[in-house]
Amino acid sequence: MEQFAIIGKDINRNDAEAKARGTALYTDDLKLPGMLYGSILRSPLAHARILHIDVSKASLLKGVKCVITGEDTPKIKYGNWRLFPETQDEYPLAVDKVRFVGDEIAAVAARDRDTAEEALSLVRVEYEELPAVFDVESARLPGAPVIHDYCPGNISVNRKIQYGDVEKGFAESDYVREDEFHVHAVSHAYLEPCSALAQVDQDGRITLWSSTQVPYIVQCLLASTLGMRENDIRVIKPYVGGGFGGKMELRTWEFCAALMAKKTGRPVKFTLTREEEFLAGRRRHPMKIRSRVGFKKDGTLVAKDLRIQLDGGAYNAMGPTATFLCGNFGAMLYRYPNYRFHGEHVYTNKPPASAMRGFGAPQSLYATETQMNIVAQELGLDPVEIRLKNAQVSGDKIPDVATISSCGFIDSIKKVAEMSNWRKKRKNLRPGRGIGIGCYSFISGGVFNWFNTTYPFSAAEIRAFSDGTVHLLTMTADIGQGSDTALKQILAEELGLRMEDIRITSGDTAMTPQADLGSWGSRVTLMGGNAVLDAAKKIKAQLFGAVSARFNMNVIYELECKGGRVQAKGRPDKGVSFGEAVAMVQKANRGEPLVARGSYTPRDKGLVTPAFGFGAQVAEVEVDKETGIVQVKKMWTAHDCGTVINPKGVEGQLCGSIQMGLGYALCEQFVMDGGKTLNTNFLDYKMPTAVDMPPGDVAHVETYEPEGPMGAKECGEGLASPTAPAISDAVYHATGYRCRDLPITPEKILRGMKRS
Amino acid sequence: MRLPHFEYAAPKDLDEALRLLAEAVGDARVMAGGTDLLVRMKHGLLKTGLVISLAEIEELRSIRFDRRKGLTIGATARLAEVASHPDIRRRYPAVACAAEKTANVQVRNMGTVGGNICNAAPSADNAPTLMAMGAEVSLAGPKGQRLVPMDQFFKGPRLTALEPDEILKEIRVPIPPPYSGASYQHLSARGRVDISAVCIGAMALFEGDICREIRIALGAVGPKPMRALEAENVLRGNSWTDDMIDLAGRKAAEESRPISDVRASAEYRRQMVDVLSRRAVLEARMRAGKRRQ
Repeated sequence: MEQFAIIGKDINRNDAEAKARGTALYTDDLKLPGMLYGSILRSPLAHARILHIDVSKASLLKGVKCVITGEDTPKIKYGNWRLFPETQDEYPLAVDKVRFVGDEIAAVAARDRDTAEEALSLVRVEYEELPAVFDVESARLPGAPVIHDYCPGNISVNRKIQYGDVEKGFAESDYVREDEFHVHAVSHAYLEPCSALAQVDQDGRITLWSSTQVPYIVQCLLASTLGMRENDIRVIKPYVGGGFGGKMELRTWEFCAALMAKKTGRPVKFTLTREEEFLAGRRRHPMKIRSRVGFKKDGTLVAKDLRIQLDGGAYNAMGPTATFLCGNFGAMLYRYPNYRFHGEHVYTNKPPASAMRGFGAPQSLYATETQMNIVAQELGLDPVEIRLKNAQVSGDKIPDVATISSCGFIDSIKKVAEMSNWRKKRKNLRPGRGIGIGCYSFISGGVFNWFNTTYPFSAAEIRAFSDGTVHLLTMTADIGQGSDTALKQILAEELGLRMEDIRITSGDTAMTPQADLGSWGSRVTLMGGNAVLDAAKKIKAQLFGAVSARFNMNVIYELECKGGRVQAKGRPDKGVSFGEAVAMVQKANRGEPLVARGSYTPRDKGLVTPAFGFGAQVAEVEVDKETGIVQVKKMWTAHDCGTVINPKGVEGQLCGSIQMGLGYALCEQFVMDGGKTLNTNFLDYKMPTAVDMPPGDVAHVETYEPEGPMGAKECGEGLASPTAPAISDAVYHATGYRCRDLPITPEKILRGMKRS
Repeated sequence: MRLPHFEYAAPKDLDEALRLLAEAVGDARVMAGGTDLLVRMKHGLLKTGLVISLAEIEELRSIRFDRRKGLTIGATARLAEVASHPDIRRRYPAVACAAEKTANVQVRNMGTVGGNICNAAPSADNAPTLMAMGAEVSLAGPKGQRLVPMDQFFKGPRLTALEPDEILKEIRVPIPPPYSGASYQHLSARGRVDISAVCIGAMALFEGDICREIRIALGAVGPKPMRALEAENVLRGNSWTDDMIDLAGRKAAEESRPISDVRASAEYRRQMVDVLSRRAVLEARMRAGKRRQ
């Protein structure tokens, strides 16, 4: 293991103080002279043809500066899957039809928010209501209402994976079982609602400040939907209060702010309300999962046949990727010699589902892990043992998909069993108590180039100065996960500098190097980190050349950047300070500043990801057998994220994952009346609060990932998966009720206990 | 959403408030903490031309305890103040508990027990215990003051015994007699910070092992907070057996009139009335026992 000066240390995040003091500026904090406030008119109907929109009264209201509908837009469809244009199914404002309750119809910009909202109430829309569908079964029936004309069967994506011989595998199995699972939609519930502010400069170019995870994607898609050139759009990402996958597409308000700023010549800002976020915001895909598995008597996995139908809601959003990934996640965790997957992404008249922390994994792994626990029970094996027998290991190849180059899965399972005292507790706990296990693996960024970018996946630029400082520029988006701090740590380590020697500019598409696909799929540390390292190595090469020349060194000397100096290894006398070395390079180049660019694009890494994270989690619960209420007493986690860059940062990710997993497992859900969401506030959308958090212990099972920067890989997203199956298994252990349809509500537990 | 236009008055004394209320002839609303009223106005659920804030009326803010008269909670005493008041915590733990379980920290620092009662949501956390403990509300009007038992205060969802020209002045809770105990039980989906899907208050008075008086009040399981009279009849005048407590729970469940909504199904609520009623009377008995010693 390498010795690090800054990597692996609890470095305070560079944004911590500003956020704690409330001085950090988010998009909605920004105000520009003459700024207008925007508001969006949304459909009250789940499926309807728009016959007529009358905005005349709204336009005449005092203080209203601009009203637009689909007719005022270029009517260009967009979507993140640019590689397959037929999947791009969304207009910024409805054209002809609305497809879910909350679908965007018109926008108003006015001198203040109240006026904008009053104007919305004056817009008259005539609809012809159409029959609607709200679940995948009805949407797939022959004769079901067609939601998009291009897609008569309502199945917008079909994805198949197959390797080995599944039928033969089942024939050779001693034990075969099939289960059906249903998992539900939940909200990202980021604390900062979506917000966007647009301004037009004198040349007609647009600057957009937006609460987004993907500045580059927003730049490109905003340009294409407005019929402008990419470079005419500048996207700046201020502080962002969480995204979790919910802010990774171009969205209506970004488009409207830009278009209305162009039309009025004044800055226009939109900020969504929490009610809008819950009513119409993106959510996690509900899925219907049928899983058939075959095992040998001793618990060895032989075959798996997985069929998943994703309830995509009214538009594709990031559904195609979720369809792709839930199939891969179905077979990542264990060694499946024979595997078959068929995923279908189905349109319904509900708010679109999209990416959400785990991106298909929490759903797929809820089924995988719960079924694993059922199989263990049926074969009379300990859930820990059956996992150890089948776990992925380093060097495993998933045929045509990926090679697993580092894997601490087995160590994680062993460690979490030891930490939680699994063997003893699983055998005898007091009545009402239960203990359960769930595991995960996850990607460190995606390989598949659905956005069809022509740039590297990640890029970095480093400017070095003779005062001993450097400036790191990157388009990666710190959305609260702390990536700016992690990238600074990587750079400081590589150049032998201190954190305070580094200035960082991130997420400004006009300033930072082209390009970066954004913060999603746990890609930033590995991909952004590798781009930073690539640039840093180029800087070092120049510094080493200059220092080597200065001391007339034999070519066999190895040089290093360490402790603020550039020097021969083991010979600190043969060296100068970092700043002096920079000055030497600059002099040698007749005043040219020392700048280097680096990039990273995964190549020859299969179809899915360059590196996998792994881990295991154990939950202990207490179930009140009269009320069915579950209290999670403790969570134990052991995980492998490669080299830990910042332990505090990793633990923060873990706490957040548990909080989300807790809500997903036990209490968060949308209460729907047909297509209408009824619980559109935090009073009735039951997200766990700080006081609901169980205590927990964590162990970092460190491995060294050869593809990652300094050996690092993902840590923030995989952990969103094990919590629900672990709690579910613990509830089973406590009550005998095995939940196959999330969430595990008190009512289901009471009914289930009666049956068992 | 937009808060509609309205006039605002913050009179210094109760008479002035009553005068403003009378003059507005029905087009005014009285505000204590505003945590319900302003939110409902913002969501367009309620319109009014005038909001009369009680915040400036010193006497209404007070919480007083008197060994003979008992506890008086002024109309604008905050939930957080009631929850942390030393006399209430010592002598009326169930009242403190209900205030502490209402909403979240921010709402408790603004909202009031009086407002919680006058808002008359069926799920009002503070109603069941106050009903069970035999509290009365003092209502001030143009013709003077009148006392209404909590039992008769609620008329339906968001409807109370308050006349349009009356203002709730204070809540009076009698001294808990020796050998009595009270309990507040509630339940919701999220855990520790949530609106109650079911809430129950109970008070029991014992003479030896015999229960001389019992009151069980149910919240969030009917159009208004209500007494479970049949359940009380099972327990009153008896030395409790396990079967009797079970029967009382079942009776309370039968008496309840829950609906299904976003927070719970009617069936689950009914089941929980059974469970929580039993827990409430058992805790009340336990606390009565402690007071004996």
